Amino acid sequence: MSTTARDFFAGFPTFEQVFQGFAAQIGQLRERAPQPTLSDELRVQRAIDTLIAETNADEAVWLESCIRCGQCTTACHYFQATGDTKYAPMRKMNLYRRVYQREIGPFRWWYRLVSSPVKLSDLEELQELVYDSCSECGRCAMVCPMGIDTASLVHHQRSALVAAELVPPELDALRMEQKHRGTVFGSSPEALRQQVKTIREQEGVEIPLDKPRAEIMVLSSAVDLVANGNGLLATARVMNHLGADWTICSDGFESANFGLLSGDMALWKRQVDSIVAAAQRIGAKTLVIAECGHAYPALRWNPMLKGDALPFEMIYMSEFLGRQAMAGKLKLSRLEGKVTYHDPCKTGRRGGAFDEPRALFKAMDADFVEMPANREFNWCCGGGAGIFLLERATRLRDESFKIKMQQVNASGAEAVVVSCASCRLNFEAGRFKNHWDKRVDSLVELVADHLIEERGSTPDRRVQGASA
Amino acid sequence: MTLLDFARGPAIHWSLIILVTGIIWRLLGVLVLTRAADLSRPRDAFGNFKGYRTVFSRAWPSGEFTTATRYQTVMAYVFHVATLVVVLGIVPHIEFIASLTGASWLGLPNAVGVAVGILALASLLALIARRVTKPAVYGSTWGDYFSWFVVAAPLVTGLMAFAHLGPRYETMLAIHILSAALLFVWFPFGKLMHAFWFVFSRAQSGVAYAHKGVRI
Repeated sequence: MSTTARDFFAGFPTFEQVFQGFAAQIGQLRERAPQPTLSDELRVQRAIDTLIAETNADEAVWLESCIRCGQCTTACHYFQATGDTKYAPMRKMNLYRRVYQREIGPFRWWYRLVSSPVKLSDLEELQELVYDSCSECGRCAMVCPMGIDTASLVHHQRSALVAAELVPPELDALRMEQKHRGTVFGSSPEALRQQVKTIREQEGVEIPLDKPRAEIMVLSSAVDLVANGNGLLATARVMNHLGADWTICSDGFESANFGLLSGDMALWKRQVDSIVAAAQRIGAKTLVIAECGHAYPALRWNPMLKGDALPFEMIYMSEFLGRQAMAGKLKLSRLEGKVTYHDPCKTGRRGGAFDEPRALFKAMDADFVEMPANREFNWCCGGGAGIFLLERATRLRDESFKIKMQQVNASGAEAVVVSCASCRLNFEAGRFKNHWDKRVDSLVELVADHLIEERGSTPDRRVQGASA
Repeated sequence: MTLLDFARGPAIHWSLIILVTGIIWRLLGVLVLTRAADLSRPRDAFGNFKGYRTVFSRAWPSGEFTTATRYQTVMAYVFHVATLVVVLGIVPHIEFIASLTGASWLGLPNAVGVAVGILALASLLALIARRVTKPAVYGSTWGDYFSWFVVAAPLVTGLMAFAHLGPRYETMLAIHILSAALLFVWFPFGKLMHAFWFVFSRAQSGVAYAHKGVRI
């Protein structure tokens, strides 16, 4: 059996330690969250104005279309896990529909007579529905006979709650940190430089930081910088192994986007703009997004970024690695044991990166098995869209994770591979709480552990030789 | 003017005017709204067009959801098909449509019409029974129940009129026509408009996901 990243990189904390460290940090977030500053009336009005501004024909049609047939309820992990009717996906658009019917809809004059205006207490109740109990995974859209994309409607409501100063404290604290200090959990450019130095000194792996020109620009994530460097280390090992012309830019390296997670679209754009500017400056042809699921829609599928006009392509880590394997550029050693793959919602159902990660298991000649519900129908792990950070959502997360455990158990796999730091943190939390006997691995770390070193390689490649 | 004259005359005519005007008003009120462009690069250049398949493919749930959706899907299909057959297939309806449009076609034998009408009503009862017994799953509003009522009423009154049950035939027939008028009047304002929305809603989601290379 090959050596795992955890065993090999003894100088770095294990992911279990990372998870426990994060849990402690997340606990402190609630104290850092800002308090509302606006009057109740203004907060409500700003929420309504946001929904009006964000409602186009798509949203209007979806809001008009629901027939309350109940099909979506059984597709939602939060409803399925709790049986609580308030978590039914169709209920998560009720307040939005009320605003739409009163303010925009073709019969608004009628609805203003027969429906009550939205109050702050309505928005406070909405908070649980659109943050705690919807990971915007989109599984309900797979069964809805009308094809309503509830996840999109939920996201607009998150934006409305940002305007109403009703973001859950943990997300709000991180949103404010990213907005005012440009960091996430303190992951500053200095922390990046320190991590790069640590990796070079402890593992002998070079990370070309801030090269003026490079073909490939790679992103990192807060999880890599403030806790566990294994993701960054594994990325470097693979890139160096491929002999890629790559770099990380200290002025645009953070995958995590708390603008998107909270619904603060101004922050979302600002974060994205800094990454795009860095990629353009260095003449990158490819931007590789770290294993951070929501960064994929934040960048690759950002509807405001005119993809064809950009001089570079944006791809997710699993896509990049998979394409290298498909092109025969990435030779990997055999992966022992039966494994399955968890498609992160944002890269799978809502991103379309299905085939590339699976190509890597083929390249590793793995005994790969699918879960009963896989690819487009995959069950969310329960921690997506920032939910893994919310203390109040612990029960929802824990109960819905049991569905995921059943899925993995049914596959017969010994290990589940994920390609998203949020998913992984949630899997680790679930594994820990349930004394689950499955291993949880990161895709990029797994690939780095299975690189086949060639004789006479460059100095950059010497570390990989030791692990292969 | 008798009740039947009223039903056959101004009631049904005004209800049809409200039906058509209301449908156009509601459709236009939504469809004239702008659509936000997705500027991101599609996964494959012509992939978005594949999204329109969802308009048709979503007519049946995918295998993943077979168990959870079987009852609802089967009953809904029985109801929709049977209702369509009754609306367009029985002789009195064809005569009514012919009086409005001039178009006519061969009607079903009475026994078949009655059997299909009973089937439609039975499926409608099966749907409401599940809605009532599983409130957590459906999260029904008063509009859902009212829509059910205005759809069930013409079926019940039509069958009663045919079977000469209840009041004398002319009165029962008038009630039946008035119940259809109520259905027409309500149609543009409640969820029955899904008869139109489903095309747009499925297409939008199909295209949005196809843009990312996902078939829903």
